[in-house]
Amino acid sequence: MQQQQTQAARNPTSAESTAEAPPKQVALAMDRLAQAARLIADVRLGADRLLEALFVSAQPHQTTKPLHLFLKEDSSMRQHLQDLRTIGILALKAFTDQKRRFFPHLDDGLNGQSSASESVPKKHCGSQISTVTQQEELSDYRTLSDLLMHVEKDMPNMKIFTYQRLDWLKRASTLPCSAEEFLMDSSKEHDFHISNKPRLGLLGAVAADKVAVIELLFPSIFRAIISLHPAGSIDPDAVAFFSPDEGGSYVHARGFSVYHVFKHVTEHAAMALQYFLGTNTETALYSLLHWIFSYQTLFTEPCSKCKRLLSMDRQSDLLLPPVHRPYRSFCAIKSSSPQSISSTKNQTLDASHAYHVGCFSEEA
Amino acid sequence: MPLKWVFHWQPNAGTTVNSQMLTEVSQCAESINGVKEGRWKATLTFYKPMFRDQAVPAEYPRDFLGISLPEQPNRYYFIIRSQKIVLEADSSIQMIMEKLQSYKSRVSLTFEGFQYQLGDFQLRVGKVAPSASENLRGIVLEVEYLPLSSMEKSRQILDGFVEIWQEAMSKRSLPGHFMHIEPNFAEFGLSDHYTSQHTAVQYATVMAQLISAVQTAQAKVAWWE
Repeated sequence: MQQQQTQAARNPTSAESTAEAPPKQVALAMDRLAQAARLIADVRLGADRLLEALFVSAQPHQTTKPLHLFLKEDSSMRQHLQDLRTIGILALKAFTDQKRRFFPHLDDGLNGQSSASESVPKKHCGSQISTVTQQEELSDYRTLSDLLMHVEKDMPNMKIFTYQRLDWLKRASTLPCSAEEFLMDSSKEHDFHISNKPRLGLLGAVAADKVAVIELLFPSIFRAIISLHPAGSIDPDAVAFFSPDEGGSYVHARGFSVYHVFKHVTEHAAMALQYFLGTNTETALYSLLHWIFSYQTLFTEPCSKCKRLLSMDRQSDLLLPPVHRPYRSFCAIKSSSPQSISSTKNQTLDASHAYHVGCFSEEA
Repeated sequence: MPLKWVFHWQPNAGTTVNSQMLTEVSQCAESINGVKEGRWKATLTFYKPMFRDQAVPAEYPRDFLGISLPEQPNRYYFIIRSQKIVLEADSSIQMIMEKLQSYKSRVSLTFEGFQYQLGDFQLRVGKVAPSASENLRGIVLEVEYLPLSSMEKSRQILDGFVEIWQEAMSKRSLPGHFMHIEPNFAEFGLSDHYTSQHTAVQYATVMAQLISAVQTAQAKVAWWE
């Protein structure tokens, strides 16, 4: 660990002096950030466990078990935060340097600087005027409740539920159950000590400022989990896809499905999320929700390039449907603005297209 | 539970199934990156009623089947295809039937072979043989798509798989092809959400197909041996 840190400290300076960043430095930086992200996830989970321990201790007739749990989590949390401090500083510096060099369009106000490795420029939704129109329209949805209520109308067949973070973990452990069972069960709700009823409906049920998890369910197709940070905001920080029949404590916004198809979609979704956040943080959640909605055709829409539904992915040797949906030119525009629609007709990539892993990279 | 389609081998007119074909089918699974995992076995039993008195035979079903499936070791499935009845029972029902002596096992068949993992797909290739002998009477293929349970939502995916499978099979020039006949599950009271009862009904359908493929009555008798 010590050795790696000193090497990381040396690397940023040596990278700056060369014309191009050697892949190794970039890979190291990415690796550090990945470690940091894992530690952050550990901290989050630790916080949930602490809350759970507190919750359990609120029950009558408890032993000292919750106290032990609490102390154990407390010490492991402190360790995680310490590790994070150590890794985070170096990783962030190295990564920021590389990002500034090679992904300038991700920085606000730094357009126009192209490089060999990044060939896809930022595509605007039609003309500049319609982009402004879009932003003006979306500025109406600054609160989570407004946003979700609007989105629910746009997206039939998709069920949206909101949860506090701990409540989602409880729910995840009770999965799987079919959508019908779930809707029936909601009438015989558990008597939580916390008075919130996190299940049916939108934010009427959960206090809006505590919503940290959004569940998007397409019955029999997929379940997507979005994490919001901070709670109650409209800032997504993670997203993951799962089979509608999957259940367990690993079903959360940073978890991975046991099925290959959903693992691939989740990996692609992480990149889409970064893109939406990098483009416009205020509309990121709105774009993400609409982009996720396009996955209702995951098992029916053939690839726009090879025209087949199933294809053998060369890298993984797996048969997969088209798991990629383009996000770079994705326009989550209202259908009531015909001007925007006509100007996007020239785009070759749009939300209704789907691509296999291999077909997508060739297209881009 | 994940849905599956059960296929049976339909030999071309004038040909019969043999173990070489079974080997070719297994190799085909491996050619599309199937990883051999282990063995599987299902059994199917035809029951005939035991008449104690002069009861009217027509009241008793002639196509009363019992099926045991590897994925449900504690369950036993009964099907009366003509009446569109399927029933899931505890596996101890077989012992009860023995004691009651109301129905006796007329003939038993075994479906067994190897299982292959292909990413989110699971394949089972199996030979069909009477339980008492090793004579190959047919080949079955199970294709399971693990992420989904809805038959409607997964139809195109399974169709896509069949296309890829047929392409791989056509390279081997075998005298026959795999057929899938989807039973009308609704008639059996089953829903779109897949269960082992659906599998039991598919096997009963496959059985009916295998028998009807045998032309003469004499050949039919010989088929069971």
